[in-house]
Amino acid sequence: MGAILECKSLTKHYSALAALSNVNLTLERGRIIGLLGPNGSGKTTLIKLINGLLVPTAGTLLIGGKEPGPETKKIVSYLPEKTYLPDWMRVSDTINFFQDFYEDFDQKRAYEMLDRLHLDPSKRLKTLSKGTKEKVQLILVMSRNADLYCLDEPIGGVDPAARDYILNTIISNYNENATVIISTHLIADIERVLDEVVFIKDGIVTLHASVEDIRSREGKSIDTLFREVFRC
Amino acid sequence: MQWDINSARPVYLQLIEQVQAMIISGYYKPGDKLSSVRELAAEAGVNPNTMQKALSELERTGLVYTNRTSGRFITSDESMIQKLKEQSARGQIKEFIERMKQLGYPPRETLTLITKVIQEETE
Amino acid sequence: MLSKLIKHEFKATARLLLPLYLLLAVMTIIDRIVLSLEFKGTLNVITGLVTLAYVLSVIAIVVVSSVFVITRFYKNLMSDEGYLMFTLPVKSHQLINSKLLVSTVWSLASMVGVMLSLLGVFATPERLKNFKDFIFIQMNDGRLIFGDMGFALFLIELCVLILFGFINNILMIYVSIAIGQLFRGHKVLGSFVAYIAINAVIQIFTSLLIVLAGLLFNKTFNEVSSLPHIIFPISILYTIISSVLFYFFTDLIFRKKLNLE
Repeated sequence: MGAILECKSLTKHYSALAALSNVNLTLERGRIIGLLGPNGSGKTTLIKLINGLLVPTAGTLLIGGKEPGPETKKIVSYLPEKTYLPDWMRVSDTINFFQDFYEDFDQKRAYEMLDRLHLDPSKRLKTLSKGTKEKVQLILVMSRNADLYCLDEPIGGVDPAARDYILNTIISNYNENATVIISTHLIADIERVLDEVVFIKDGIVTLHASVEDIRSREGKSIDTLFREVFRC
Repeated sequence: MQWDINSARPVYLQLIEQVQAMIISGYYKPGDKLSSVRELAAEAGVNPNTMQKALSELERTGLVYTNRTSGRFITSDESMIQKLKEQSARGQIKEFIERMKQLGYPPRETLTLITKVIQEETE
Repeated sequence: MLSKLIKHEFKATARLLLPLYLLLAVMTIIDRIVLSLEFKGTLNVITGLVTLAYVLSVIAIVVVSSVFVITRFYKNLMSDEGYLMFTLPVKSHQLINSKLLVSTVWSLASMVGVMLSLLGVFATPERLKNFKDFIFIQMNDGRLIFGDMGFALFLIELCVLILFGFINNILMIYVSIAIGQLFRGHKVLGSFVAYIAINAVIQIFTSLLIVLAGLLFNKTFNEVSSLPHIIFPISILYTIISSVLFYFFTDLIFRKKLNLE
């Protein structure tokens, strides 16, 4: 099967501001990829474009060879930074919702993960803490057998134990046909989980390389390299 | 099992080293069955492809072998493990000798001191 | 997919609206009972208060149903929930359709619910008979004025006009919200401005249309019998055209200019 993501001269402008400029990026299947950059670098714009929440100003973007639309939304599983589930729903309602709309949703897996976290499915979301809500969202997103997972800041603002759980879930869920994009600025915590990194700054991709290559070549961690490259 | 991975060095090399250490220490016994790549990767908190690369390299050197149907196993070849142990021990000794040199102890004196210390320990 | 969206939409909206209908039903029964007890003298205060509460619950259901059309659309599509809805494997027009359908149903339901409730509180055999007689007279008059065919046409067109009117109002709200979200940071304000602006434009167009129609159909305009043949059809057509425009632009904005914060 071909690359899961292909961006060619991808550009997105918001009136005067260029959020992404001429991005050329190809991501292969079966990889866990870190999208790293400071706030406002264009990470979120790229992820929104992948999910069809924004339309490019110029250039093309193909997911599994297709342009963003209902067909690509079937194979892309998105975890946004915010809680996007209706508060009034019970956890079981959200599972039924995902089951309804996504053919690739594995209900059994979702309930297993909830069980392991001792989360009561009959609870309403509004009664849960922010951290627990985020875990529920992660479970829903990772219970889909998607071709591309887009996780936007999955470990930001979460305690270390939860962080480990999230990374563990990502690793355990791995399959060689699917790719996971993790957009974050907390690099030290996730770099051991990554295959490749994409550095993005001011809407431009400055680096796309294998993590192990960087470590061999530069003799430093990705976190260290990042701090050097993006020094203020 | 605590995997100790440092992000500044290639991870797959460290994984190889740690599996070797686990074999030497006896945590992994000869013929032991290894968990799946994904489980090991999750345990170590590393990328599955990286773990796969490390395991492939271990297979290449023969420390690990794959049985198509039943999975991955530590070699039962005791002599190979012995060799590994000896290799590791030699490495430690060489490092030690070097460090003692830096302290001002040439190898012969180091040997004498070692014998003395061992005698004291057994009393 | 559309049926799933509709099912979900009903689930989400019934949570808030069904309790209101329940409240209305309860108030209807209570007021009916109190009125039939015919309190005299100072006890009349009870009748007054209960009837006031009843009237308030009627107003509540009408107002909340209308406001809910707006808030539901905004909350589910333009706020954080929009991240969920717009990443579903559905087309944007399906999202619009599901909400339009359910909102229309609730709008009609509130209308019917209020009518039934009023009947429930005030209907007596005598009043019903008077009402029936009144209706018969109107229908006879109607047949006299419009002719048998014309009268049937009149009734049908009236219903269509009311239904399309509901739909048109809802779509006008939707397109205003869609236009509002184009203004980064001032989405709610933008929606209000858009709504007022569209309203103004509609008023102007309608006035022009009336003047134009008056000029074209000078004589016939003054006759009531022209209603089903000229005025209603034109109104219906006008409503359809504006509905289509509103729908088209809402969908266009969602497809090309979506910008969730």
